[in-house]
Amino acid sequence: MVHLDHVTCILGGAQALTDVSLHVERGEFVFLTGPSGAGKTTLLRVLYGDLRPKSGAAAVAGVDLMRLRASGLPALRRKVAVVFQDFKVLGERTVFENISIALEVRGVPAGSIDRRVRAVIRALDLEERSYSPCRELSGGEQQRVAIARSMVVNPELILADEPTGNLDADLSRHLIELFKQFNTYGTTIIMATHNRDVLSWAPEARQVHLVRGQMTLPTAEVLSGAECVANLLSKRGGA
Amino acid sequence: MSTGKLMLRGVADMRRFPLPQLCTLVTVCMVALLAGTGLLILHNVQQEVLRTQGQARFQIYWSASANMTDVETQWADLKHVPGVAEVSTFTPRAAMAELMRGLTASAPAAPAPGSENATSPGADDFAWLEGENPLPPTALVSFDIPPGEAPEPWMGRMYARLRGLSGVDKVTYNATQLSLATGWIALIQRAAWPALGFFALVVGLVVGNTLKLMMLARRDEVEILSLVGARPWFIRAPLFANGLVQGFVGGVLALFCLKFLQTWLRGMLDVPPLFLKVEFLPAWESFALVLATTSVAGLAAFIAARK
Repeated sequence: MVHLDHVTCILGGAQALTDVSLHVERGEFVFLTGPSGAGKTTLLRVLYGDLRPKSGAAAVAGVDLMRLRASGLPALRRKVAVVFQDFKVLGERTVFENISIALEVRGVPAGSIDRRVRAVIRALDLEERSYSPCRELSGGEQQRVAIARSMVVNPELILADEPTGNLDADLSRHLIELFKQFNTYGTTIIMATHNRDVLSWAPEARQVHLVRGQMTLPTAEVLSGAECVANLLSKRGGA
Repeated sequence: MSTGKLMLRGVADMRRFPLPQLCTLVTVCMVALLAGTGLLILHNVQQEVLRTQGQARFQIYWSASANMTDVETQWADLKHVPGVAEVSTFTPRAAMAELMRGLTASAPAAPAPGSENATSPGADDFAWLEGENPLPPTALVSFDIPPGEAPEPWMGRMYARLRGLSGVDKVTYNATQLSLATGWIALIQRAAWPALGFFALVVGLVVGNTLKLMMLARRDEVEILSLVGARPWFIRAPLFANGLVQGFVGGVLALFCLKFLQTWLRGMLDVPPLFLKVEFLPAWESFALVLATTSVAGLAAFIAARK
């Protein structure tokens, strides 16, 4: 699903990512962790085609990011959905409109849009707010709308950038459960977070750590969480 | 979603941003009004030149031996020629009387009786020509050159037509004066195109930048549409429709303001000694103003919507 090899990226004249290699298989749940400014958001921006790497090789959902042109961006964004910390919903539009917009741009017929949006709204417990403008919703509800918008198109990959950053612990846990639920249906998820609680709520997920734009685990082969622990234990034993 | 639906959505979405829309509309209207005022001035200068110097005058001389009955029939027919503004006719007797009156008016005042010039012949001494009048029948015909006609070819055709009348000996016309008027009009028209081009550029830049500012209010929407995989046309079509509507409404409002300005100027200038009749733009120019504003605003919105 995601193949990055020795990717370097420049942002504002500074090197934001250095020699990053990451391979994520279909159906995986991956946490991108690291302190603020580590390059988590930059890496996600590369993955949804908002930033072009300076060097290396990068492919997402079969799209070669190194050769991606502006005309090819919509095709990538139809396979990859993004959820942000600041929700990015349209406050003037209703919950239904915010979710349906993702289907409208794909040319889905109106009847099908209505059915699919209602299903997602029901799944995310937003039925009572279907026709409320999003500006009247709480932060948790707005984030659920953003997740619903990404889910309704049944994407191959969901990128989430600190989706729980503005939410309290209960809501955060609820949202992580939602992501896990969609992951069990086969959707690949890469979530950036620096919240340790969030990591503990999905212990089965792989963790990739970034510091100052570099991955702190072996770059060629990112290990799964269990392998990582075993690796560390064997190193300690060796010492 | 079809392009038509996208455009309709763009129009419907205009109500979501009332203040930026209003500010843009006022700007479009004011710039279109500025362009319209320029057109109004050019149009009225052209009309004034045509009114004061733009009439074609033909002096037609029949041969002295021409049959007066035939000549008078031709005079009657001349009044029905398209574009004729005025026809003044002179029989040989009337021409002589006119000549004598002219000479009398220009002759020095009659000397006092007893002075040394008392025996000099006066201007009215042409009475001896009575019965042997050498002057031919003549007519002075003034034409308004039909709109859209180039003066010189039109005058050439009219000259040939008049010269071909039965018994006509000579035809003269005011070619120099008309050439001067034509020159003025050509100069105005030559100045008009660069001026209109300049106005179009100003409209484009001002409207484009204003629409770009207005789109700041919609940047979230554009960003989200882009994130969910909207193709460029899906994003731009509603903004393009928004620009077209802004341009059309702004252009029409500018026409209303221009009509108000023209009425006010007419009331102010159509008084002694000026008697300047400020006319409104012809229908086609009014239409062109609205069409140009609409097109430029639509184009500016389309370009402004590019990332």
